[in-house]
Amino acid sequence: MSPLWATSMIFFSLLLGSHGRPLYPLPSKQQHKEKKALQTSRPYNIAHRGSNGEIPEETAAAYMRAIEEGADFIESDILATKDGQLICFHDVTLDATTDIAKHAKFANRKRTYEVEGSNMTGYFVVDFTLAELKSLGVKQRFSFRDQQYNGKFSIITFEEFIAIALDANRIVGIYPEIKDPVFINQRVKWANGKKFEDKFVETLQKYGYGGAYMSTEWLKQPVFIQSFAPTSLVYISNLTDSPKIFLIDDFDIRTQDTNQSFWEISSDSYLEYIANFVIGIGPWKDTIVPTKNNYLTTPTDLVDRAHAHNLQVHTYTFRNENSYLHFDFHQDPYAEYDYWINTIGVDGLFTDFTGSVHQYQEWAQASATNEASALGLLHKLALMISSFEGEE
Amino acid sequence: MNPFWATCLILSSLLEGTRGRVLYPLPSKEHKHKQPLQTSRPYNIAHRGSNGEIPEETTDAYKRAIEEGADFIETDILATKDGELICFHDVTLDDTTDIANHTEFSDRKRTYQVQGFNVTGFFVVDFTLDELKSLRVRQRYPFRDQQYNGKFSIITFEEYIAIALDANRVVGIYPEIKNPVFINQHVKWPNGERFEDKFIELLQKYGYGGAYMSAKWLKKPVFIQSFAPTSLIYISNKMDSPKILLIDDFSMATQDTNQSYWEITSDSYFEYIREYVVGIGPWKDTIVPPLNNYLTAPSDLVYRAHAHNLQVHPYTYRNENSFLHFDFRQDPYEEYEYWIKTIGVDGLFTDFTGSLHRYQKCASGILR
Repeated sequence: MSPLWATSMIFFSLLLGSHGRPLYPLPSKQQHKEKKALQTSRPYNIAHRGSNGEIPEETAAAYMRAIEEGADFIESDILATKDGQLICFHDVTLDATTDIAKHAKFANRKRTYEVEGSNMTGYFVVDFTLAELKSLGVKQRFSFRDQQYNGKFSIITFEEFIAIALDANRIVGIYPEIKDPVFINQRVKWANGKKFEDKFVETLQKYGYGGAYMSTEWLKQPVFIQSFAPTSLVYISNLTDSPKIFLIDDFDIRTQDTNQSFWEISSDSYLEYIANFVIGIGPWKDTIVPTKNNYLTTPTDLVDRAHAHNLQVHTYTFRNENSYLHFDFHQDPYAEYDYWINTIGVDGLFTDFTGSVHQYQEWAQASATNEASALGLLHKLALMISSFEGEE
Repeated sequence: MNPFWATCLILSSLLEGTRGRVLYPLPSKEHKHKQPLQTSRPYNIAHRGSNGEIPEETTDAYKRAIEEGADFIETDILATKDGELICFHDVTLDDTTDIANHTEFSDRKRTYQVQGFNVTGFFVVDFTLDELKSLRVRQRYPFRDQQYNGKFSIITFEEYIAIALDANRVVGIYPEIKNPVFINQHVKWPNGERFEDKFIELLQKYGYGGAYMSAKWLKKPVFIQSFAPTSLIYISNKMDSPKILLIDDFSMATQDTNQSYWEITSDSYFEYIREYVVGIGPWKDTIVPPLNNYLTAPSDLVYRAHAHNLQVHPYTYRNENSFLHFDFRQDPYEEYEYWIKTIGVDGLFTDFTGSLHRYQKCASGILR
């Protein structure tokens, strides 16, 4: 990263008036040896909206906590503002996770729109400029989680999210979602006939993301692009060869763009088709193993069939709170990880509790190693001998 | 277990007309050597059995706990109207049984004073063992599995002991002399015997005894616990089994001596009580008081207990996020890690035996 590059960068950002933070290399980060590589030997720990079990979702702090806790990927939902800026935010409305209700000057912006076939009322992201959104404070979505950070953090942009990942002192992947593209493209217009998906890919390419899954290029800046809308993924497959994940919703939800049912898009023929464009699927875990009375029933063959089509399976969402844990797991989130990783065999887990998944995976790896090693054998011998110690 | 001993046992149980299940050794159990109790890491104490999954203090809850790796199965001993010792936590039947469905008992509701408070309900001491056996137990917490409600009965102290002795490895028992002041007020035994006497008699009948870590104790490990110091002192003349003094919340005084938390956790009291007990069992929020669901600075209670050679077994560890302080990010394993590695306790009363066992297996790090 030469001084000339840095100067040009600053110059151009002044010219273009972009909102991105210019990525000039900080002195402390310059003499990097090799960044520790992305682990690829066990299922991916995907920090769902950052470490939002502890810190309000999709904030810089939530993402930094997730990186600290060992996330392989930090995950985000990308939406667009009124002035066409891409932000990290999950809901199309601001009501559940911001203090919008306290901002009297925005009180007249409440609207009712149709979103994916249902009428929704609230303060919509697409009716606010980025500057206006930046004036809001984010809050923890769930009342039973830590409320102490409410109002302390802002909404961040897609570019800020990328910067957090690239800033880390090890390789951390990003996992952004093209969120509600049908709704966004209806409400937000860009110059030159560009669509939401175009701006999304442009942002990624601006920061050097590209390359097929597991290529050298990809391993330096890992990324998965996810969406519930198949046509968006098909559309961008012409623009970028980055690996894509097709998200699948619950049994009764249809795709927003093609109006297809769960059964259609999880059929063998559809998987065969979509495998040309995506490298994996992201289903809701209760559709892989349906539940009854809060107990698991027999697993479906979805994971097997996906794997047969060479599609990875990254399932959502893993949460520690007992209200989310089926009784089979005895209120133990680690028992849930064990089941999904070892019994079902998924390739990635979207979790609200990055630290717990990481701890589980580290322990599992350590004990597997130990069992195989000479030390492990010694330990086993010791156990066998000690079991005779009670002899009279 | 030789045939002569077995015959004596059968004979004596016929003679005394006890209700205990006869403990003759089953062919399948002619064990060589049972895997001994682990003593190298803090004890995994199955609080009321594995009651996170199965209604508390039932046979199934205890068996599940043993399956899941408990070092000790824990119980609360109360007495029935006819002087039988049972495993049951509350003095009333309302919360954990289907007493409300039994119209034949609807006239038994009473109000009594228990540890200084008026309590209204169906009291255990107003029912014979047979009557209690006609009831069915249910899960105390609505957010836990309800599928076993109505399936299991209340068990006796003897049945509980049998479960421990029946296991295919050495499993300790951890019974509590529960509400002894209340029990002795309401239940009378012949020959002037008290609740504590009957409690000890039963333990000795099944061969429990021996000081902590003696060869005898290691074969049948036991901790006797109580909130009432005089009960523990009383039995210390009759039994050398290790005892644990339970300590309640800051605001609760002891039921028998009316002493405050601060008195019974003082250095001078520790110096006194250590003649009788091997350890204390405090409520964990008194060791490290929380504020706004975050931990504050730990008190020196564990440090001082250890200085007096007293073990510390805090209660109670539960997986549900409503019981986890925010420091632990809703992760029960983080809580174990803190209490075992940072605070350094010697045993943990847990509703989730399996999780603690998994933690101790994984995190202890083999040979680390």
